[in-house]
Amino acid sequence: MNRSSVEFHANLATGEAALGEQQRVAGAMRAFTREIGALSALRLESCVHCGMCADACHFYIATEDPQYTPVLKVEPFKQAFKREAGAFAPFFRWFALKPQVTADELERWQHLLFDSCNMCGRCSLICPMGIDVAELIEQARRGLFEAGLAPKELYEKAAHQRRTGQPEDSSEPYRDRLLAIGRQFKVEMPIDKPQAEVMLTVPRTDIEHYPAAVAALARVMAHLKADCTFRSDGLIAENYGYYAGGRAWQREISLRLIEQARACKAKVLIVPECGHAYSALRWEAAELIGKPLPFKVRHITEYLAEALDGGRLKLRSADLGVTAFHDPCQLVRKGGVTSAPRRLLHAMGIEPRETTRHIGFNVCCGGGGGVLDIERAAPLRHRVVEEKFHEIDATGARTFLTSCSDCRRTFDDGKQHFNWQQTPRSLLELVAEHLQGG
Amino acid sequence: MDLVDFARGPALKVAFVIFFIGVVWRLVNVLLLRHKRNLSEPRRSVGASVWGGLKAMGSRSWPHPEFIKRTITGEALGYSYHIGLFIVILLFAPHIIFFGSFIGMRWPALPNGLVTIFAVITVTLFVAVLFRRLAHPVLRRLSNFDDFFSWFVVALLLVTGLMATAHVGAPYPTILGLHILSFDLLLIWYPFGKLMHAFYIFPTRAVDGYLLTRKGAPS
Amino acid sequence: MARPELQPTIGELLDRQGVSRRSFVKYCTAMASLLALPPHAARAMAEQLRAARRPSVIYLSFQECTGCLESLTRSFAPTIENLIFNVVSLDYDDTLMAAAGSQAEEAREQAMRANYGKYLLVVDGAVPTGDGGVYHCAAGRTGLDILTDCAKGAAAIVCVGTCASFGGLPFADPNPTGARAISTLVPGKPVVNVSGCPPIPEVIAGTLLQYVTSGRVPDLDEHLRPTVFFGNSIHDRCYRRPFYDQGKFAKTFDDEGARNGWCLYELGCKGPTTYNACATIKWNNAVSFPIQSGHPCLGCAEPDFWDRGSFYSPIPSPRWGKAGEVSPAQAAAIAAGAAVAGAAIGVGSVLLGRRRIERHQQEPKSQSGKGNEE
Repeated sequence: MNRSSVEFHANLATGEAALGEQQRVAGAMRAFTREIGALSALRLESCVHCGMCADACHFYIATEDPQYTPVLKVEPFKQAFKREAGAFAPFFRWFALKPQVTADELERWQHLLFDSCNMCGRCSLICPMGIDVAELIEQARRGLFEAGLAPKELYEKAAHQRRTGQPEDSSEPYRDRLLAIGRQFKVEMPIDKPQAEVMLTVPRTDIEHYPAAVAALARVMAHLKADCTFRSDGLIAENYGYYAGGRAWQREISLRLIEQARACKAKVLIVPECGHAYSALRWEAAELIGKPLPFKVRHITEYLAEALDGGRLKLRSADLGVTAFHDPCQLVRKGGVTSAPRRLLHAMGIEPRETTRHIGFNVCCGGGGGVLDIERAAPLRHRVVEEKFHEIDATGARTFLTSCSDCRRTFDDGKQHFNWQQTPRSLLELVAEHLQGG
Repeated sequence: MDLVDFARGPALKVAFVIFFIGVVWRLVNVLLLRHKRNLSEPRRSVGASVWGGLKAMGSRSWPHPEFIKRTITGEALGYSYHIGLFIVILLFAPHIIFFGSFIGMRWPALPNGLVTIFAVITVTLFVAVLFRRLAHPVLRRLSNFDDFFSWFVVALLLVTGLMATAHVGAPYPTILGLHILSFDLLLIWYPFGKLMHAFYIFPTRAVDGYLLTRKGAPS
Repeated sequence: MARPELQPTIGELLDRQGVSRRSFVKYCTAMASLLALPPHAARAMAEQLRAARRPSVIYLSFQECTGCLESLTRSFAPTIENLIFNVVSLDYDDTLMAAAGSQAEEAREQAMRANYGKYLLVVDGAVPTGDGGVYHCAAGRTGLDILTDCAKGAAAIVCVGTCASFGGLPFADPNPTGARAISTLVPGKPVVNVSGCPPIPEVIAGTLLQYVTSGRVPDLDEHLRPTVFFGNSIHDRCYRRPFYDQGKFAKTFDDEGARNGWCLYELGCKGPTTYNACATIKWNNAVSFPIQSGHPCLGCAEPDFWDRGSFYSPIPSPRWGKAGEVSPAQAAAIAAGAAVAGAAIGVGSVLLGRRRIERHQQEPKSQSGKGNEE
């Protein structure tokens, strides 16, 4: 990747010139070193360069290009560790055993850390040393962010979301859009109740592209007679700070939701069909704010499966023919939401025809982790999603479901590109359509 | 003092000391870095997570079935030469005497002829491993000095050992001296290179097994 | 003694004694096989030997125990009488000769004068060089002086025994007399080492015979030993070698393995690192050799064999200093000490690393970085 194709965005807020090279390196080193701890050190020290992580990565599998080897994406972070805080750091510096991180290198790594990684965590499962490579990549992204090298799209959306609560300007605020969807689908949107048991959030992707899914969420919650509410000041589930690698921003964006949940004394915060939002809130928010969350975070499928078990939710059976289900990486592989989607399917009489690789080992859609937003990554993303299409086609499924709107969007995008005959559908929408007595 | 006496005497002692200093130094350096607390609500209990960590120590020894097709060459090569190394290192009578004298016990050996066969196979695998590292695009891209030097140190040990057995190159005491010297070199290099993975492999697996199980995720 | 050219050839001597040509050829065949020469060499050897004149031999003894000479006197092929009377002209040996005192010294000086540049000097024992060489004196002269004097006119020097060859016991740590191997004291002279404590008698005799036959120094290994006798290790020619290969070892001197005649490697046998002919020529007219008698090889034909720890510690045992083998307790103590040192360094390096991390955190955030960070 040549330099001109890398989008520099140093400072949108003030319109100043891009960061100088020195400042880039200093920023990266600041973030890298902050990420160094016993855990990351153990992981960075353990790698034996066996190269197996490449065989888990859909970007490598689709392209056979060695630069997409997951652990290679971590290289600048590793350099920082070895030179600054590793056991033999002085030797690494004196004898240049690991070269210093350079601005040029960081620029080249932007493509590797952002365009070609969904942080899907498949590499973490193949590693014979047990290294969580995906987490290292997440940490490495933070270095690029502070070097001013987060891809423009992610950076802009993160900045916008941090400032306004929504990742981009819309003709009308998302709050109004939400209410409009309620009117359109004839479902009441509970909003800004001062107090509620359950706080709901909504993916921007759904608001923009899949309003039916938003309506489905409200419909299902109403059916369960749940004491729930959306909050205008904490509506959007996605966390672009997480995508962009802006640790502080990620924290602030999460904090916005946390504060709203606190304000309405919610006991449960529902993450809708959005995988990375789940990771950010379920597993990372508490660590970022430095204390446990005063509420539980549940994915909508988890919440519904619990309701199913408690007898509060009864579903009619659905006749969809052969059905395949795509396990979103952040929910299943990294999030542990493994049985909930299948319990819901089972309740509707659907036994999914599994793809050859599923549950924890499914091949990722290729769009998560912000990749979908990066325009220049589209060709690469298409090669990856093609892989997935073949797998789904091989099941002979007539219906194709998933429970993450980013996956859905990625598939839709790929569908257009390849003229794929399947249409990805939302599990939540399916549930909403099959409520017993609903 | 001739080569053998130097190699198994002062050189060995120095190497032994460097080995222990280096290994502990490196481990302590990892252990004492900042520890992060896990504040998110766990999906599984501490007990279950610990068990998950313990399980991962073993289960990562073999890839999940989903991955085997793509990694079988690496697995097969890796496993065979590791097994070969273990047999040659731990079940050859002179080695048992050597290592045994550090811990005050000896254990049964394999016939030398058999060990020699294993050593020849292991050397062959080592050559194959090197070729693979040079030929496989991913491995070539990943490889650095450490990978090649660590290979060299172990290969040197294997080759000098075989030369001593086969009596080629130089009189036996000279080759034996070189063989022991190359072991000294291995001890000295050990803490500084990737050979350290023997110390890291189980803790790393356990930690990530624990953390993934804590989230209810597959490990 | 007569001048060499006036000496009868060995053939003339044999004829005079009525030794038949046939039995001489037979003898030479035996010698040739001992020297590992091809069969056709025996006849050539017989011719050469018959035509050769007996060289004058001067035998000096320094720091030694006479074991080597005792060994030589038990040579069966050639027998010592045969060697002394037929093959060489032993003109001086203070142990064997009838003469003593000034008479003996005179004989030596006469032989040296008569055969200057041609006589063979055989040395038994190391020569002390400490404190002016006072630890060995004979006839009012130091050993070093005698050696230097005798070496001057010698055609070659044959060192008999490990003491002469490598210093041996007198040279062993702490070597209070400053004993040294002969080869280090006679610069420029061809030296042949016939090591062993003692050397195999046939090897001593055979080496002398070979010199007489060929008139030159034989092929030598890196320790100046004739490769014909010292070319293989005891281990390589040991009849117990199959047990080594099978991994069958005697663990103690009275266990089943020992009774079954298994390999003595684990009992400290130095066969693999010792080059000598014990396993082939054996001792006492090929009756036995130490391993055959159930005892590990001590490695007596190798340099420094006294200083290599216990005779009973196996070859692969670590040797951590003069005390010899490492004990598990000692190894553990050293490891623990190193670990503590490593831990201390580790703590230091972590502190250093953490300081560097801190420093990176405090780097002033640049103006233009603000948009990214605040």
